Amino acid sequence: MTVLTSLPQFPWLSLLIVLPLVGALLCLMHSKRPADCRALSLATSLAVFGVALYLFICHGQGEGRWLLYEDVSWIERFGARYVLAMDGIALLMVLLTSFMQVSAVLLAWRVERHVSSFFALLLLLEAGLMGIFLAYDLVLFYLFWEVALIPMFFLISVWGGANRRQAALKFFLYTLVGSFFMLIAIIALYQIHGAQSGVYSFVIGDLLQTQLTAAQEGWLFAGFMAAFIVKSPLVPFHTWLTDALTESPAAGSLDLTGLLLKTGIYGLIRVAFPLFPNATENFLPILAILALIGLFHAAWSAYHQDDIKRLLAYSSISHLGLVVLGLAAWQFTAWEGSILLMVSHGITTGGLFVLVALIQERTGTRSMKELGGLWGQAPCLGFLFLLFSLASLGLPGLANFSGEILVLLGTFQQHPLWAVIALLGVVFAAAYILRLVQGVLWGPAYKERSVPDLTLREWIILLPMAILVVWMGVYPEPFLAPMHGAVETLLAGGLP
Amino acid sequence: MSLLDLLALLPILILVFAGTTILMVGAWYKEPRPLIAGGILTALLAALAAGMVEPPVSEIAGLFSAGAYARFFTILWSLLAAAGLMLGARFVEDKKIGAGEYVSLVLYGAAGMALLSSATHLLGLFLALETFTLAFYILIACNRDCEFAAEAGLKYLLMGAVATGFMAFGIALIYASTGSLALPDAVTQLTTASGELHAWGLLGWGMILIAVGFKISLAPFHLWTADVYQGAPSPITALLATGSKGAVVAALVGMLAVSGPIWHDLVELLWLMAALTMLVGAFSALTQKNLKRLLAYSSVTHMGTLLVGLLCQTSAGLAATTFYVVVYVVASFGTFAVIASLADKRGEPMTFDDLRGLGYQHPVRCGVLVLLLLSLAGLPATAGFMAKFTIFHAALQSGYIGLVVIGVFASVVSFAFYLSVAMLLFKPDESASSWHAGSSLEHAVLAVCSSAVLLFGLFPGILFDLIGRLLP
Repeated sequence: MTVLTSLPQFPWLSLLIVLPLVGALLCLMHSKRPADCRALSLATSLAVFGVALYLFICHGQGEGRWLLYEDVSWIERFGARYVLAMDGIALLMVLLTSFMQVSAVLLAWRVERHVSSFFALLLLLEAGLMGIFLAYDLVLFYLFWEVALIPMFFLISVWGGANRRQAALKFFLYTLVGSFFMLIAIIALYQIHGAQSGVYSFVIGDLLQTQLTAAQEGWLFAGFMAAFIVKSPLVPFHTWLTDALTESPAAGSLDLTGLLLKTGIYGLIRVAFPLFPNATENFLPILAILALIGLFHAAWSAYHQDDIKRLLAYSSISHLGLVVLGLAAWQFTAWEGSILLMVSHGITTGGLFVLVALIQERTGTRSMKELGGLWGQAPCLGFLFLLFSLASLGLPGLANFSGEILVLLGTFQQHPLWAVIALLGVVFAAAYILRLVQGVLWGPAYKERSVPDLTLREWIILLPMAILVVWMGVYPEPFLAPMHGAVETLLAGGLP
Repeated sequence: MSLLDLLALLPILILVFAGTTILMVGAWYKEPRPLIAGGILTALLAALAAGMVEPPVSEIAGLFSAGAYARFFTILWSLLAAAGLMLGARFVEDKKIGAGEYVSLVLYGAAGMALLSSATHLLGLFLALETFTLAFYILIACNRDCEFAAEAGLKYLLMGAVATGFMAFGIALIYASTGSLALPDAVTQLTTASGELHAWGLLGWGMILIAVGFKISLAPFHLWTADVYQGAPSPITALLATGSKGAVVAALVGMLAVSGPIWHDLVELLWLMAALTMLVGAFSALTQKNLKRLLAYSSVTHMGTLLVGLLCQTSAGLAATTFYVVVYVVASFGTFAVIASLADKRGEPMTFDDLRGLGYQHPVRCGVLVLLLLSLAGLPATAGFMAKFTIFHAALQSGYIGLVVIGVFASVVSFAFYLSVAMLLFKPDESASSWHAGSSLEHAVLAVCSSAVLLFGLFPGILFDLIGRLLP
């Protein structure tokens, strides 16, 4: 276990978690002044984004396993430590999180009910997500894993749509059941490791050295997978997501699809694969099959939706199926593609969710039957909708393409058949996305109504996303560069 | 009993004598506030005495321990009594209940709980248990305006009487088979006892367990719980749910710590009881439409989880159980404190109709309630998570994988009902009426409970280290 530096360094990683927490507290303290809360949470999320950007620029290229590492004693009795670690992959996720958070805050600008609580929860969610992406101690990881659930739960259940209560409870219980299995596995692994080495520790780096029998490894792996598969979500554990995404308020859907879904896949990469290499090796084909089923099933379901938010929810599941497939291929290019696709999917689908929210604000509906002709009514909005849709479809030169092509290339080298099947799935994506574009943008307008075009605030949300979408499609190298080392290490450490 | 023994008993003596004085004064002087203030001061003084005065002997009259563990719980129950009186102040004033009786009974109850947690002798256990149970018989039924209160009091009395019978008979059987009631002896004699004597002794322990089952509402002896919780006024329910149960569990932990594994031959039975209690509690809570009843069943589940910790019979299990007791006491007391602080002329808001949309009328206290409920559910970053974590950890160490899986399952179910309350509180509802703003004493209790829940959740090491040093 290499600790980068013993010199006391500025705790940048803790700052990423503490800043949103402080912002959330300040919001709650100013509950009587909604305008202050908005400004406060915007300032907080911008500050976090600034820190993330600084880390990306100044610490993005580092030697060794970790770019940054923080280690403080926490619960001595159990050997649980407050360990935060950032490698290239975590860096990308942190960057994505902080970026999306700024958009989410801006998107939530017009929330009228209980403004301070809304923003406090949004910031709390950000702190939880940062924690998940950075924690390198299993207790800490689990803590953030669950802490991130609560704000999302309340965002859906208080500010959500008509079926919010049911959706929120479903979301919470699904993920909770999965994570309890993980909890048991964490304790069991800790116990086995402690009995073997005499050192009781929850730090992932220490636990890597545990010698497990095949049966033990299988069970523990299953425990972790229960949490991560539900969160990812892979078919057949995906039904919570469509409800949660549909019922969630706009900013909530943005965070849910852009960030919270990624935690499951991130958990696979960061925790489950490295800890249980042999079980992983056996499980990869099953994972690939699940991913492919998800890819097709979700694409098929997406094609049959009328509610555009639901359609996008299914398209998310479909895309994440491709991400998981890339991981299952266990190949350098495919992994890089998967991680890149995670980031670009966050941005493109995030952009689409923003647009759906704007469309719903303007027309009062999300049903494709009652939409259409937006291109003529609000050309700028229509153009961005088209841009993000085409990116989501995987048009070359736009964000998702880079990731998808890398995944397919890498997978093809290992398992040509998987890649061919997946390619068909990508064609499916074209079908439902074109149907979406057709239903919303083209054709005659459902009825004459004035649909105002984008306002300045909405431009501020969408323009950076649009630029990123093009940038990641044309020149993804800056996003790939930090993860080279990390992916290599993970692949080498994973399979013997 | 020597003078030194009396010095070791100082906290108890303070509680009892000051309680009696307040009772006497209360007979002539009817002003409630000074009496309650006197009661709170007494309880705090007792806690201070338990903390500051180093007892000169380690055992009192061969019945009660004066060790660090006993002192810790004396402090805890004294503080709890103080908090209970803080909650009860407004209730006593509004309902025109004799403040002298009320205060003195709460103080007697605290004395009984403190003695119970330090019992090292079965007779001491019996006496202490009866002491606080007697106080509760009266306190539960003290609200004469409420039709449920009398029913609750009677129910508690009948169940208590049955439990007392079992307890006394069990103790008699143990005495008959081992010839001793002092704790390490009664157990060691039992393990060496042969044939029929051994069987009688085990039967005795079984009966004590049944009595304990009644007291801390283990399934299938839990049926009284919901009715009594609902009928009793919240300041008393708060004490009943936390102190009376916590003290019994603390006594069991103390007994196990002193005498080693008692229950080798009863493990299967306990296993079944723990599993049943966790599941029955969780599923019964799921269908409740009244917060106090829901909390009653939730406490049943918690007692099942505690039994898992006790079942381990290892030092890790006992430490985990002690931690869990403290955390449960804080969180559960806090939830009832919220209800008590909201109570006004109409009574207490406890049905789901009362609670709907309440979060917008009283955001801070409902926020606290949600926090405490999440702690009871075991959400990470709250103390409840650490408590469950340590219990399950100890159980896995002892090889009770089945119980851990059941416990985790029950936890998932309990998340469902705790969250449904949280959702209800923050459900937009224009018709939600506003309740009492709460007195500053009540707010103080809530502040302490919620900060303790967060403190022990984020830095459990503080409490763990303390408990590690307490257990013999």
